[in-house]
Amino acid sequence: MKKLLIVDDEKYLRLLYHTEFEAEGYRVDTAADAMEALAMFEHEHYDLVILDIKMPGMDGIEALGKFLGRDNKIPVVINSAYDSYKDNFMSWAADSYVIKSSDLSELKQKVKEALGESIYEF
Amino acid sequence: MASDIFKNLLTTILAGGKGERLYPLTKVRSKPAVPFGGIYRIIDFTLSNCLNSGLRRIKVLSQYMSHSLDRHLKEGWNIFCRELDEYIDSAPPQQQFQETLYKGTADAIFQNIYLLDLIHPKYVLILSGDHIYKMDYAEMVRYHLEKRAELTVATVEVETSLAADKLGVMQVDSSGRIVDFEEKPHKPKPSPTRPDHALVNMGIYVFNSDVLVRNVVADAKQDTTHDFGRDVIPEMIPKHRCYSFNFVDETGGEILYWRDIGTIENYYEANMDLLRPTPRFDLFDPEWPIRAHIGQYPPTKLIRAAPAEGRRAKLGRAKNSIISPGCIIDGAAVSKCVISPGVYIGPDAEVEDSIIMHGTRIGAGCRIRRALIDKNVIIAPGKSVGYETDQDSQHFMISETGIVLIPKDFKLSELYT
Repeated sequence: MKKLLIVDDEKYLRLLYHTEFEAEGYRVDTAADAMEALAMFEHEHYDLVILDIKMPGMDGIEALGKFLGRDNKIPVVINSAYDSYKDNFMSWAADSYVIKSSDLSELKQKVKEALGESIYEF
Repeated sequence: MASDIFKNLLTTILAGGKGERLYPLTKVRSKPAVPFGGIYRIIDFTLSNCLNSGLRRIKVLSQYMSHSLDRHLKEGWNIFCRELDEYIDSAPPQQQFQETLYKGTADAIFQNIYLLDLIHPKYVLILSGDHIYKMDYAEMVRYHLEKRAELTVATVEVETSLAADKLGVMQVDSSGRIVDFEEKPHKPKPSPTRPDHALVNMGIYVFNSDVLVRNVVADAKQDTTHDFGRDVIPEMIPKHRCYSFNFVDETGGEILYWRDIGTIENYYEANMDLLRPTPRFDLFDPEWPIRAHIGQYPPTKLIRAAPAEGRRAKLGRAKNSIISPGCIIDGAAVSKCVISPGVYIGPDAEVEDSIIMHGTRIGAGCRIRRALIDKNVIIAPGKSVGYETDQDSQHFMISETGIVLIPKDFKLSELYT
């Protein structure tokens, strides 16, 4: 079973993602900020990180670099309410950039793609 | 106009190489900071090209032993106006991703993505800080735009035998588009215009920034050597518009002078090239001045030594040599040498085919041949270097072709036999 680390400062979104991705068949850990996420990443193996950008303290762009520095192959999907970071060269180091939406189908699809799972599974 | 072309361009100079094959010159300094041609450092040639081409936004990506390089940039190249967004900045590894040094040329760019994002140029010119050549980068950037290229690689034709196993070799179609790239092939394929030559990568690139970032990011996520020549460019060729900008004389089509200072032999020969009466690389070219930072020295003197017991007073003389300011050739004979500022050579000494760096003192009656003597070395009177390999090798490294290498601050005293 693939294990995801979801980083988002909004508590209810964390709960939502946790439920939704568990229902998709993943094991899920969540972190409320980048520092906590990086500390968890040190001790636990994850197959993918879903990363918010605007968070108190270290933002997702900076955290992205730190994740890649620890594991250059870790797939990362940025999940942000803002599209303004799309021009940021650093954000290009992520596998995908998803604009937050109440409909999680795009996010789920990008996670599958980044994990190299077929999106045509039935 | 150059200024229009360069408005959206950032220049990066890769100056992080360890230069292990230039040891002991690189024992105390990075490769681009190694003195060259008497008064210069190797990076002065690339920086002068930038200056003469009209480039004004330059980041020097340094790392190993960067102290003397940084000092040189501050003292010698603090010439641009930051208020006008002109600069030559030294950028050591930002360690934003990881606490390691640059793993390769592409990693040096990857680790500076934050810097690239701050400036957000449309084009990035990537240069090496350890080549000797004169190139108008404006022509190359113009070519890049004309071809609507995503990557332009400067190429030079090198004899096939010299390129084999050493350099990156390219194949191009009739439009100049690169169709094949092999890193250090055993049997290089010939260039289209000169069958006994191969078209080799000079390590000079113009990238569209978006293409650069996407490709160094993709490379960073793989277990490669993170090198442009070995990893990134071969991957790019089938996917992107990659063109070759051939380094030839516009009018005659003659191959222009380019030397990669990779080894002691390359370094020595490139210095000796300057001594020809009409060298292919001419320091006296008013159209393309090479800027140096020398510091304050009195003029050089070639003087008649004071007569001593059993010795006639001889004239100080020098032929086929470069003598920098601040030297005293005191009744000594100098032939085919490149001598840096502040060197003293004592009475009756004979120095030939050698490179002598700043502040070195060679005592009376010394005989020096084919030696590369670093800064502030003292050689006691009567010593000989370059005549007896067995004796030299007791104290010094000797290069493949027999050049004796005397490291910085070495004192060859009377006690050495």
